[in-house]
Amino acid sequence: MRRSLISLALAASLAAIGGSAFAEGIAGAPAPFDKGGVKIAVVSFLGSGDWLQAFEAGVKRQAEALGIEANISQARNDINQERELIQQAINLGVKGIIINNGQPEALKDVAQAALDAGIPVIAYDVNLDNPKIPQVEQSDADMARLVLEQALKDEGTSFEGGVVYVAGFAPLDRRYAVWKDIVAKNPGIKDVATWGVVNDTVAASVADQTKAVLRANPNLSVVFTPWDEFARGVKLAVDELGLGDKVKIYGVDISTSDIQAIIEPGSPWVATAATNPSVVGEASVRGLAQLIAGQDPGHSILIQPTLVTKNDLVDNNIKTIEELQAKFPAFKDSDAAKAPWIPEPK
Amino acid sequence: MSAPQASIALSVTGIEKSFGPTRALAGADLTVAAGEIVALMGANGAGKSTLVKIISGSYWPDAGTMTLGGKAVSFASPREAKAAGIATVHQATDQAGAAGLTVAENLTLDELCGTGPLFVSGRSIRRRARAIAGLIDLDLPMDRDFLDLRPAERQLVAIARAVAAKASVLILDEPTSSLSTAEAERLFALLKRLRAQGMAILYISHRLGDLAAIADRAVVLRGGRIVGAFPRPIDFPAAVAAMIGRPLEAAAHGGEPSTAPIIAALRNVQLIPGAVRFDLDLRSGEVVAITGTLGSGKSRLLRVLFGLDTPHAGTVTLDGKPWHSDGPGRSIAKGVFMVAEDRWQSSLLPPETPGASIAGTIALPHLPRWFPAGIIDATRERLVATDAIRRLGIKARNADATLDQLSGGNQQKVVLARWQAEPCRLLLLDEPFQGVDVGAREDLIAAIRGSQGGSATVIATSDTEEALEVADRILVMRDHTLISADGSEGSLAAAIGGAASASPRKLEP
Amino acid sequence: MTTDTSQKSAPRASNIAETARRYALFVLLGLMLLGFWWAQPAFINSANLFSILQAVSVVAILGVGVSITMSAGGFDLSVGSVAASAVMAASYAMVVLQLDAVSTFILVLAIGALIGLANGLLIVKVGVPDLLATLSTMFLLAGLQLIPTGGRSITAGMVLPDGSTAKGAYDPAFLLLGRSRLFDIVPLPVVIMAVVAVIAWFLMERTRFGRVFYAIGGNETAAHLAGAPTKAYRLAAYIISGTLASLGGLIIASRVGRGDVSAGNSLLLDAVAASLIGFAVLDKRRPHVLGTVLGAIFVGVLLNGLTMLNAPYYTQDFVKGAVLVGALALTFGLGKRKR
Repeated sequence: MRRSLISLALAASLAAIGGSAFAEGIAGAPAPFDKGGVKIAVVSFLGSGDWLQAFEAGVKRQAEALGIEANISQARNDINQERELIQQAINLGVKGIIINNGQPEALKDVAQAALDAGIPVIAYDVNLDNPKIPQVEQSDADMARLVLEQALKDEGTSFEGGVVYVAGFAPLDRRYAVWKDIVAKNPGIKDVATWGVVNDTVAASVADQTKAVLRANPNLSVVFTPWDEFARGVKLAVDELGLGDKVKIYGVDISTSDIQAIIEPGSPWVATAATNPSVVGEASVRGLAQLIAGQDPGHSILIQPTLVTKNDLVDNNIKTIEELQAKFPAFKDSDAAKAPWIPEPK
Repeated sequence: MSAPQASIALSVTGIEKSFGPTRALAGADLTVAAGEIVALMGANGAGKSTLVKIISGSYWPDAGTMTLGGKAVSFASPREAKAAGIATVHQATDQAGAAGLTVAENLTLDELCGTGPLFVSGRSIRRRARAIAGLIDLDLPMDRDFLDLRPAERQLVAIARAVAAKASVLILDEPTSSLSTAEAERLFALLKRLRAQGMAILYISHRLGDLAAIADRAVVLRGGRIVGAFPRPIDFPAAVAAMIGRPLEAAAHGGEPSTAPIIAALRNVQLIPGAVRFDLDLRSGEVVAITGTLGSGKSRLLRVLFGLDTPHAGTVTLDGKPWHSDGPGRSIAKGVFMVAEDRWQSSLLPPETPGASIAGTIALPHLPRWFPAGIIDATRERLVATDAIRRLGIKARNADATLDQLSGGNQQKVVLARWQAEPCRLLLLDEPFQGVDVGAREDLIAAIRGSQGGSATVIATSDTEEALEVADRILVMRDHTLISADGSEGSLAAAIGGAASASPRKLEP
Repeated sequence: MTTDTSQKSAPRASNIAETARRYALFVLLGLMLLGFWWAQPAFINSANLFSILQAVSVVAILGVGVSITMSAGGFDLSVGSVAASAVMAASYAMVVLQLDAVSTFILVLAIGALIGLANGLLIVKVGVPDLLATLSTMFLLAGLQLIPTGGRSITAGMVLPDGSTAKGAYDPAFLLLGRSRLFDIVPLPVVIMAVVAVIAWFLMERTRFGRVFYAIGGNETAAHLAGAPTKAYRLAAYIISGTLASLGGLIIASRVGRGDVSAGNSLLLDAVAASLIGFAVLDKRRPHVLGTVLGAIFVGVLLNGLTMLNAPYYTQDFVKGAVLVGALALTFGLGKRKR
């Protein structure tokens, strides 16, 4: 066991060294990118899920194009762990830190500690309320509004609706606010149920809850799911109860497996509004790179969402995120945080 | 079927084994023929247990060879030895079966774990178990938990399992130490029957009565070597001399009835509903032995005196005041000490536990008195233990040795030393000579008799010889009441015999 | 003489093996520190080493509680959810009840002790087996902690189930517990861990109370017959465990500054693992305080180093498991034949 542990550690360290050996400088880029070997840390609150995978893929693509070595770690829904990962990144002496999600109360002081140590920080989807920390944002309100307006178009302004929601997560809070707003403006919409849970098995747990909700509210026809893991849970429940023709899901976020869930015959998930998580990852790295180079990417790096309906996907025979990017150019790329010296991700 | 001069079943040659600096075996040779009962005698620490553990596969010898049925064998584990046909019934009877399982399940354990049918029902297990029990005429309630069995009953279960597994060699490690006379007689009859069936039996004991009854040959082990072999008829004084290096002194006590002050008194006590009432005075400075068969109420009487049980009726006084306790803590604080039977279960800690050393074992009940502030002074503990090691002749490296490294006799000496470390009013000893060899027994008796001071000592034992050796006064119990207060051997044996035959609790049908 | 040499060499060989087993984990820890240092020089700077200690402080404190219950023959499965409940309770006390730091601290510790008492009573008085009793407490608390807030996380300005808005906020003094540093170097949680460890070590190894805890775990009948009030001790073990778990929860609360539903998820397993790895430290083959703290640090160093070397998160549980298996093999397997 001892031997295998040491060899594991050695293998890991060799991999790390091997990885950094590939990083070369970019001619004409501002320091330190002209020499290469820049190391950043990417700390995510989540630990799993399609969204995170796509986000990290985008991070890696853009980092590679910039000759950056990215140390990627996940707190697995443990906010204290996220603090420690950020602290560790500071100890490691990285050139910059991307904080992906989390809760401001727990992270503000460590983020400030990073700034104090001269390490620039960029945050996605967590408002650290610090003028020195640019916020990468997908406009949550825009996303929710896009998809809910589609719901009004499909279902009219009079239906029984429900929402899967857990308080305390800033993006969910903002998306939920739009739902409340729409319900308030349309007296025909009856907001009959709110449920949801965030744990290690979100989809399965939400599915169990949803079954109970659907049995209690037989007339429920629209479910707004402000997170795709929620949508997946609701879809599971609707499928298992055989209510696919009665209940429609209007979701937020997208990934390859989301696409496949949407285009399944009889799928209740009919529309989703999303930014491309890969693009979010790419833009975050670009914004951070500008900060490291001493440039200002602006305090808010906004990534515009796209509405994707079931019909769009089926009609264009789109099965994966790659195909979606190929056929929806707006989805593929964002101008956010671009600079002439930053190479396009491959 | 009877073939006394049959082939050699088990033979070991030149076995050596050391534990650290201690040389347990220094070239031991031993043979046991099929259809022969060989008694292995040896004083405390002579290497008996080590030899048994090597033969039964628990230890790996440093040197030497072993043959079984003429073929060279070596065992890496007790399981291998068992599979080869060597069955061992250990001294610690709690390991003879699985606690939590019933008698029936324990009897059929080998089949349940091994080659038996895939599906078992309670009924089929009981049927198989009854068949196995029938092999040795064992009559026990089949659905009793093994844990609730007395040591004697556990032992019989273990022997029945060995017979059912068709073992060719049966090793019994001090089997009669916890049996009453009647139970021992039945065991002997059983062993004679197994011998007639051709089983080779290695019988470790130091009870001369046992050896006279059944051994074909006695082999004496001392200092890790065989120092003498005695064919039948066995010359016991010579064998004992070979074993301990000096002649056995018979203890003789008794004399005038004591007029010393009464420490504890039982008046009109009825131990359980329906039992006959009795009185008992325990006087300062005397040693009282209470003997009787298994289940006659000896242990219960001790528990009543200790305060763990209350009698069904009657009064108990200690130093003139009514005596009742709410638990061992209060009893000990009041100077009533008890050494319960089955020392591993009742007194000792596993070796990895802090305080499992000789010093810690002795100190455990006295910690609040010795260290009122809470902080342990290890030097003081060690001082007491070192003194006990010297006084009782405990064979151990030092006060920090753990109890599992000691032989049974030395373990019991430590337990006795624990309760002699502080002055008491009433010292209660339940089967204190269980699994203790002759040499250690003499030491224990000397220690018990030597230091009662102003206290009274009560010893429960099912062995009349022990009672005679240790006590000033011998009382016999039957059916939860005292029936005799006569110290003479003849009437005592008669009383026990009568008690045994009149007892409603029999092991055989 | 041949016997002489054999008598001398045998103990020497077994002494070497014994010494190797005693210090195996210390040596491994040293090798690991050197290995990570070599692979990533930033690993060894004092800030990082203190981060590691800070990261393991809560697990170590909980582990000490677990090992005390284990030493008394019990097992406290509820420590993780006690800590999680303590996070919620602390947040609720400040955000909703508007208590100050000191009263919150006392209140939460009292809650922890009370839960420990409930565990103990369930086990000692009602007679529920330790594992089952604490398992049910674990589930009970997982739900109970959500009831006062209707399942919401607790943050300043949160909306309460009755529709009103919480008026309180985290007391800045409370945040010092988890975020401040002694002499500007040593994080306060590390100091707390050290204090807890030293006190618990002294209690368990140097006083008669510790001796009795272990005696009860080793052979409860023997301890009872030797006059020890075994029920009171077992009760005390669970009260200590509950109090320490709530102390761990307080540290988490002051680190994260909010009451989160999912806080403390992995604490139970990490604390139990630390206790079990501790069995191997100094070849004690039993739960003990020093071993538990070292076990926690061992895992902490390993995880920190692997994270620095960019090892993906899923290797971390694997590595934890491998360490645990190795430590247990070291404890129970190797060299056991000697006895």
